[in-house]
Amino acid sequence: MSVLLDHLPELWQGLIVTIQLTAASFLGAAVLGVLVTALRVSPVRVLRAIGTAYVETFQNLPLLVLLVLAFFGLPTIGLKAEPLVTAVAVISVYEAAYIGEALRSGVNSVSKGQGEAARAIGLTFTQSLRHVILPQALRTVVQPLGNIAIALTMNTALAGAVSIVDLTAAAQRVNLVEAQPIPIFVGAGVAYALIAACVGFVTGRLERWLVILR
Amino acid sequence: MSGVTSTVLFDEPGPRARRRIRVATVLGVLAVIALAVLAVRQFAANGQLDQARWQPYGTWPMWRYLLTGLWSTALAAVVSAALSMALGLVLALGRLSPRRWVRGPAASYVEVVRTVPALLLVYVVLFALPRYGLDLPLFWKLVVPLTLSNAAAFAEIFRAGVLSVERGQTEAGLAIGLTRWRTMRLIVLPQAARRVLPSIVSQSVGLLKDTSLGYVVSYGELLYSGRVLANYNGLLIQTYIVVALVYLAVNLSLSKLARTLEARQRRSSAGLASPGRSSARA
Amino acid sequence: MLMKKIIAVVAVSFLGLAACGEASSPAVPGPSKSGTDVIGQAPVAAASDILPGSTMEKIKQRGELIVGGSLDAPLLSQQNPATGEVEGFDAALGKALAKYIIGRPKVKIVNSASETREALLSNGTVDVVFQTYTITEERARQVAFAGPYYTSGLTIAVKKGTSGIAKPEDLNGKKVIAGANTPAIPAIKKLAPQAEIITFGSDPECLQALTQDRGVAYVQDETLLIAAAKKDPSISIVTKPFTVDPYGIGLKHGDDQFKTFVNAWLGKIQAAGVWQRIWKDSIGTVVTGDAPQPPRIGSVPGS
Repeated sequence: MSVLLDHLPELWQGLIVTIQLTAASFLGAAVLGVLVTALRVSPVRVLRAIGTAYVETFQNLPLLVLLVLAFFGLPTIGLKAEPLVTAVAVISVYEAAYIGEALRSGVNSVSKGQGEAARAIGLTFTQSLRHVILPQALRTVVQPLGNIAIALTMNTALAGAVSIVDLTAAAQRVNLVEAQPIPIFVGAGVAYALIAACVGFVTGRLERWLVILR
Repeated sequence: MSGVTSTVLFDEPGPRARRRIRVATVLGVLAVIALAVLAVRQFAANGQLDQARWQPYGTWPMWRYLLTGLWSTALAAVVSAALSMALGLVLALGRLSPRRWVRGPAASYVEVVRTVPALLLVYVVLFALPRYGLDLPLFWKLVVPLTLSNAAAFAEIFRAGVLSVERGQTEAGLAIGLTRWRTMRLIVLPQAARRVLPSIVSQSVGLLKDTSLGYVVSYGELLYSGRVLANYNGLLIQTYIVVALVYLAVNLSLSKLARTLEARQRRSSAGLASPGRSSARA
Repeated sequence: MLMKKIIAVVAVSFLGLAACGEASSPAVPGPSKSGTDVIGQAPVAAASDILPGSTMEKIKQRGELIVGGSLDAPLLSQQNPATGEVEGFDAALGKALAKYIIGRPKVKIVNSASETREALLSNGTVDVVFQTYTITEERARQVAFAGPYYTSGLTIAVKKGTSGIAKPEDLNGKKVIAGANTPAIPAIKKLAPQAEIITFGSDPECLQALTQDRGVAYVQDETLLIAAAKKDPSISIVTKPFTVDPYGIGLKHGDDQFKTFVNAWLGKIQAAGVWQRIWKDSIGTVVTGDAPQPPRIGSVPGS
C-alpha cells in the first residue's frame, strides 16, 4: 500500500490527465457526434453517405492504430499540436462514430408523427431537429451515451502509446521502478472504477431528470 | 444500416426541396474533394508520397509478412471470442439466476471488469502474474486479458437478449413441466440468441480491434507486425497507413456480415418484435 | 444451435482470409545474406563436450536451440520481413551457438518482452537469452550470465543544430525521448532528474518524434543511434556513451555446467575470429573501423 502513497504525486498527476482526456474527448465527441447524426438523417443522399462512411470508418479501425497514425502522420500534413491535444482530437473523432450511431437510433426511435407535426406547423429541418426530435431522442439515448462515456474512459488508457502519461502509463512507470504490480495496478483499477461510477451516477440522475420533464 | 433511411425528419421532397438537395449534394461533394486534395497535397509536399516510400508495399514479401500478422490477429480474436462468449454466457445466466449467491458474484464481475481498461488487465497479466509464478505463453498474455474484459460485454449482451424474450415464453415452458434450466435452454436461449446476433458480431469486431493490444505484449499480430516492418524499413507512416487499411477491410467485411445476418433474421422472424440491441462497447 | 452456426461462419471467414496469406506463401528469395557463411565457419563442439544428461545434450537431441530474443532491434536482432530470418549481432551469435551444440545453426526465437526474460529462463521456455541483456548483480540472483559478450552504452542524439546539450546533465529541464521500458529511462532519471521523459513503443517512433520536435533529445543505445544518424542526416550524436552496459548471455540460474560450456564456446569463437566477423556483418555495417576488443569473459560482477 505504501507504494501508492510514496508515488502519490505521479499517480495523481496521471489521474488528472485521464480525467482531462475523458472530459475533453467526450465533449468533442458529443459535438462531432451530433454533426454526424445530422448528416446521417439529412434528406440529402450524399450527406447521408458521408455520415455513414464516417461511422463505418471509425468504428472499424482500432483506436491504437488511429492514435499512432495521427500522432506521427498529422504533422506531415502540417497539423502539429501538443500530444494531449492530438490525443483528445483522435479520441473525439473515434468516439463520435459511436455517439453518432447511438443518436441516430435515438432519432429513429422518435415516432414519425412527431416529425410530421413539426413540419406541419412550419418548422424547418434544423428547427424540427433541434426543438422536436433531438430533445426526445436524447432521452432514449442517455443510457447508451453513458455506456459510451465509460468505454471512452477505458479507451483513454491507449493514449500512453503516444507519450501521454495518463493513469495507466503512470501506474506502469511506477511499477517499473518499484516492481510491485499488484497494489499499483489494483489502485489504478479502483480509480478507473470510481470514474466509471461517477459517470454512471450522472447518467442515472440525467435519465430521471429527463423522464420527469417528459 | 446504410440502406435504412430515416423518414422521421422529412417527407417526399417537392420541386424546391429537390433543388436545394441538389445544391447541398454539390456542396457536400466539393467539400469532401477539397479536403482530400488539401490533405494529399500537404502529404505530398512533405515527400510522404514519394514512390520510394510506397514501393515496398507493392512487393509480395512485405504483404506476406503483414498477412502472417493478420493470421495471428485472427487466431487471437477467434480464440478470445470463443472463450469470452462461453464465459459471458455463464455470467449472464449467473446474473439471471434466482439464487443470490450466484447472482451477486456474476453481477460484481460484470460491473467491475466493465470499468477497468483492457490495457490495465494486459499489464496485470504481463507484469503481476509472473511474480506469482504464473508466466503465460505470449499468446495467452494477450488472449486472457481480452477474454476477461470482453466476457463482461458479452454477458451484458446475452442478458439483454434473455430479458427481451417475453415472460410468457418462460411461463409456458414451466407450465408444460420443463425445469427452469430446460426452459432456458430449449425455449428462451434459442430466441435470445437470434435477437442478439448483430450485437454479438459488432462486439466481435470490437474484440478484433482490441487484439491490437498485442502491440504491448509483443505478440506478433497485425499491428505488431507493422511495428517490426517499420523498424526494418523505417517507413513509419506508410506502414501504419497500410496496417489501418487492412484492419478496415477486415472489419468492414465482418460488419457487412453482421448486416446480412440481421437482414436475414428480420425476414425469417418477420412479425416478431425487433431485436433488442444493446449498445456495443466502443 | 443458430449461434453455433454463426460462430462457425465467423471462424471460417477468419480462416479463409488468413488462408489467402498462408496458402500462397512459397518462399520468395530475399536479398542474399552474408551472415550465413560466417556461421558456416563457426566451430562445432567435440562430442566429448556434450556431457551426458546436460542441458547441451538435451538441446542437441531436440535439434533446435530456443533463444529468447527480439524481432525489432535493428542491427542486433531484427526480423527481415522479406525472408522471415532474424538478422543482427545477437541473432547471429545465437545461430553460432546452435551450430556449436547441434552441428547446424537451427534456432527458434521466442519473442520475449524484456520484463519476462527471467521467468522464461527459470521455467525452461527458452535455453538462452540473447537480447541486449545487461548483466547486473540483481539480475544475477535470478539468472546465470555467460559472457559478457559485448559492451555498449547509452548516448544522446539531437536534431542537427541543437545547442546546449553536450552531456547527460544538460538534459535537466528538457523534454527527452526514450523507448518505453528501456534502460534509458532509469539512466536519465539518475543523471538528469529534472528531465521530462516522453516514451514511445519503438525506435522508429522515437526517431520520428525527435525529427518532429516532440522532444529535444533521444537517449538510446549507441549502436542504434549510430545507425539512425547514418540513415537520417538531420540527426547527430552529441556525446560518447555515458553508461557501460555489458551484455550477457542469459542462462538458467544454477546451471553451472551449461554456463562453463557457453563461456568456453564464446572464448573459442573470439579466438577464431568468428565473433569479430559477426560484428563486422552487423554492427560493423554502421560503425566504421575494426571490431572492438571483446570484453573479458567473467569480468563483470554477476557474470
